[in-house]
Amino acid sequence: MSTGHMSLGHKTRKRGIGGKMQWSAYGYLSPALITIAIFSVVPTLLTIVVSFTNASAIHFTNPSFVGFKNFADLFNMNDPLAQVFIPTFIWTVTFAAVSTTLNYFLGLFLAVLLNNKNMKESAIYRSILIIPWAVPGLISILIWQGLLNQSYGQINALLHTFGITDIPWLVSPFWARVSVIMVNLWLSFPYMMTVCLGGLQAIPEELYEAAGIDGATFWQKFRFVTMPSIWKISLPLLIPGFAYQFTNFNIIYLLTAGGPGRNSTQFAGYTDNLASAIYKMSLQFSRYDLGATLAVVLFVLVGVFSWINMRATGAFQEVD
Amino acid sequence: MAAGKKRMRPGEFVTLWISRLVIWIVIVLTVLPMLYVVTASFNPTQAYFSSSLIPSQPSLANYQALFQQGQFVVWLRNSTIVGLSLGVGQLLITATAAYAFSRMRFFGRKNGIMFLLILQMFPNFLTISVIYYALAQWGLLDNLWVYILVQMGGSAYNIWLLKKYFDTVPRELDEAAVMDGAGHWQIFWKVVLPLARPMLVVIFFFTLIGSFSEYILAGTIIQSASNYTLGLGLYSLIANQFAKNWGEFAAAALLSALPLTIAFGLLNRWIASGLVAGSVKG
Repeated sequence: MSTGHMSLGHKTRKRGIGGKMQWSAYGYLSPALITIAIFSVVPTLLTIVVSFTNASAIHFTNPSFVGFKNFADLFNMNDPLAQVFIPTFIWTVTFAAVSTTLNYFLGLFLAVLLNNKNMKESAIYRSILIIPWAVPGLISILIWQGLLNQSYGQINALLHTFGITDIPWLVSPFWARVSVIMVNLWLSFPYMMTVCLGGLQAIPEELYEAAGIDGATFWQKFRFVTMPSIWKISLPLLIPGFAYQFTNFNIIYLLTAGGPGRNSTQFAGYTDNLASAIYKMSLQFSRYDLGATLAVVLFVLVGVFSWINMRATGAFQEVD
Repeated sequence: MAAGKKRMRPGEFVTLWISRLVIWIVIVLTVLPMLYVVTASFNPTQAYFSSSLIPSQPSLANYQALFQQGQFVVWLRNSTIVGLSLGVGQLLITATAAYAFSRMRFFGRKNGIMFLLILQMFPNFLTISVIYYALAQWGLLDNLWVYILVQMGGSAYNIWLLKKYFDTVPRELDEAAVMDGAGHWQIFWKVVLPLARPMLVVIFFFTLIGSFSEYILAGTIIQSASNYTLGLGLYSLIANQFAKNWGEFAAAALLSALPLTIAFGLLNRWIASGLVAGSVKG
């Protein structure tokens, strides 16, 4: 992975077979390109097309184009659709931002604690703390749905022994949102911790020693030696992490199914994000037009974030 | 060993023990939920709302019920078919493309992977409106093979991983093969691919494990219980009559999560130990 190795590969490549354009390369690429075209590109293009139509259960076989009507409805506060979209949109952004930040800082905090050279048993702790990452997410989210059940769940039973009465975890709007963020934290911190530990271990010991000679305190060492190095490694992961939470369907749908429901609208509940709203629009209400419109909005947002990420970090760029 | 032991300063000593205390608390919070699932799976029905980790009347009733009804075996079979197909499919689709990016010259080589990666930042499951609409019109819903096919797109990330691994296979081996009259196909098939076996294993298993967490497309395409994947099955257990099914759900969750968790743990250690990343670098 070192640059020395890369440049070596570069040098020898010139001596490899073929110095000019090889048309057969497209044959080797075709399985990937064709499947990506059929299963990623075509559905995306069709989604954009459908977002300009009125395709739904009523117009199932004879949809017609309606121009920008769906998009206009989305942002028109007098329209019932905007009453679903705007709160759902705000919650989607809030959830992604809060969740990514919490996951990252807990991961970083634990990594700093574990990276203590006096802690001989650190490796044991690490392998235990990695468990939530290793268990398939779908299964652990469903497990949490059971544990957080207000009347039968073990979490409330446990809190009872400390004298805390029933918390309506998945039932009240506030606690349902707290649950989603907490469960996502439980699921995601091991990954962030592992990445940060990798970053911490790459910092040369001499930097700390030099800082120590200059009389730096623990906090100053953290602020001026640890953080800059960690930041460089984790930034390329933080932005895709945010983009991922933006489209995270499982954590919402499998934990709360978007509930609790709103009084004002049946289309989306208090914890529904855009991804789960698309699912409900399409499957429960057969509004393919609105599902597609929400998908296009998400598409634009994810595209912007990814572009910023690629520009900011230069990730995945070929050195050639 | 004792001679090399440095005495800790008082500040370091306090920091160490506070760190340990915090980590122990986090470990309890991490492991406790999983232990509750183990307890619940051995607890016969009607033993709810207990914070105890020891089952009140331990029995295998939940596990027996799971297998007697037979549905769990069906879910497991379906999910295994899906996981194996997607794992094998992903290798077939990405291997040749990764070879082209690693060894061949063509227009689009420089920015091709980056372009595909950006394209796939938008996951195809968000197009379910169109997928459902189209499949409903063609009468292709509720078919396990359609569900597999829809996910058969090549993953740009896997191409990137495999390409980076192919890059570490020394080019001297290619040249030696060329001397023996080998073309690209022989180099790919006889030289590069066998040496990349560790990374192929990693991609296969991560695809397989990942398929077990897929819900949105399964929920969109599959309808009848005989086609349920593990995810749909587990969801149906817990969403309907929670109180009645919690024990059975716990048993099913444990049985399905255990092998996947162990596989993930082993793979992760394997990658971390550098077996995959640097084995053929020399």
